[in-house]
Amino acid sequence: MVSAGTLHVVSTELTVGSFAMAGAAFLLAGFASHDLFGMRRHLNLADNVAHFALVFGLLAMPMAIITGIQASPGEGVDHPLLINKMLLASAAFGLAFGVLLTRRWQGMEVWSDHWGRRWQALGGMAAVGLVLTTASIGGTFTRGESLLDMFNLPYEHVPLMPMWLSGLVIVVAVTQFAMMRQNRTA
Amino acid sequence: MKRQTVLLVVLALLMTPALGSANPNGVGEGTFDAQCGGACHGDADMNASSMSVVTVLAPSVAYEGLLTSVSVSVSSIETTTSGLLGIFLLSDLSGAEDTPADDGWTIVSNSEGGTENYVEALIEAGQTEHTVTWTLRAPTEGNYALQGAIHHGSQDGSGAPFFGASLEPSLVEVRPVPEDLPRLATSFEPPTQRSVGETTTVELVTEFVDDVSVEWRLVGGEHQPVTASKTGEATWTFDLPPSLQPVVLEWRVHLTGEGPEQTTPWFQLRSQEPTWTVDEPTAYLQSVAMLLAFMAAFMSLQRRGPRDAENHTKTDAFNPGGEE
Repeated sequence: MVSAGTLHVVSTELTVGSFAMAGAAFLLAGFASHDLFGMRRHLNLADNVAHFALVFGLLAMPMAIITGIQASPGEGVDHPLLINKMLLASAAFGLAFGVLLTRRWQGMEVWSDHWGRRWQALGGMAAVGLVLTTASIGGTFTRGESLLDMFNLPYEHVPLMPMWLSGLVIVVAVTQFAMMRQNRTA
Repeated sequence: MKRQTVLLVVLALLMTPALGSANPNGVGEGTFDAQCGGACHGDADMNASSMSVVTVLAPSVAYEGLLTSVSVSVSSIETTTSGLLGIFLLSDLSGAEDTPADDGWTIVSNSEGGTENYVEALIEAGQTEHTVTWTLRAPTEGNYALQGAIHHGSQDGSGAPFFGASLEPSLVEVRPVPEDLPRLATSFEPPTQRSVGETTTVELVTEFVDDVSVEWRLVGGEHQPVTASKTGEATWTFDLPPSLQPVVLEWRVHLTGEGPEQTTPWFQLRSQEPTWTVDEPTAYLQSVAMLLAFMAAFMSLQRRGPRDAENHTKTDAFNPGGEE
């Protein structure tokens, strides 16, 4: 019988590995789209690797979250690290999904626009950075240390918004989606 | 559609072992009958006998309504790689209505910091013995039996549920309280938990007591006397020192009066790091808000006017249909 802890390690490695590959490919795609280091001809390859790796990472992420909850001791989120992990993972998921939807809607054109190529590469790498920070918090939670400890990140502080503000943010975001969709269909 | 089906099947297969592995992280302390602290441990067709030795240590005599102490000691411990060991205090091993409460006992505290008959202990690697002590209020006059039981998983990855129990019950005769027996009042409830760094002031309520002397110890440590002050006709207070780390401090009282001198059982006081709590609905809502906000913000950033993407989408593996 495979325990939840073992499955969590497997799914976390899948997630982090995919995101790490996506991050490197987004960096290369950024270089290629700016024609740096003579990489223009590799743009298509880097673009595909970056986005497909990101998709795979997103597919593996729910598995990592579910097994992580099953493997964690106690009930509920009773530690600031776990709350920060959840908030960072949500932000990473949203940013990565935004990057993917943008790419799907705009096609390769996303790399031809002056600012579009910068935001796409930076957005992909930022999503990867958030996931790696999330994984780092997991290491701090289970083993008490992680590679990112050198940055002294304030993992113990939980920046919680009041509930009404979160509701307002959701309303604004949903309105924004509706407006974007309206503009696309217009 | 076919791809989605395959994906769902793969995800379901990946999830199955995790969901089918009982409770590898335990079920938490609670009031459970024998073997019910994790369903499959009680199934005679599925479980296996633990090699650990379980012993119940209880006084042969207790007084009706007064506090007494009972320990379940486990030696030759076997457990899982996570180190979790479930320990029961029971009135018999029938598996139905066999908690101490079913015989009239009241659990005041246990050395793991709770008030239940089932506790889960985390066993360190190499540790072979563990003892849990319950403080109980005795039931009405009569003869009672107390049993100890354990359950745990295995380290070999077989996932077998192990169960073990004490070979002999510990028999306790509960007698009526002698008229002038120095004792703690039945209303007295000893504190069971506190935070690290916190001094604990205990207020004793006694009956037929002229003087008290209090002592405390860390488990396995030396006895330390504490001065108790009389604050009323039958009330006394004393301070237990703060602990610097999570430990179990034990204390007891020697009661002197007209009747024979009495000594209470050791009461366990567990100190823990201050617990951290958060308003979970607020955190979950913020999580959803952050997901949508980051997504909307990025897509707004990348929003541009209509353009001709046709040349790119024809050979676009990520967007094969050229969907816009």
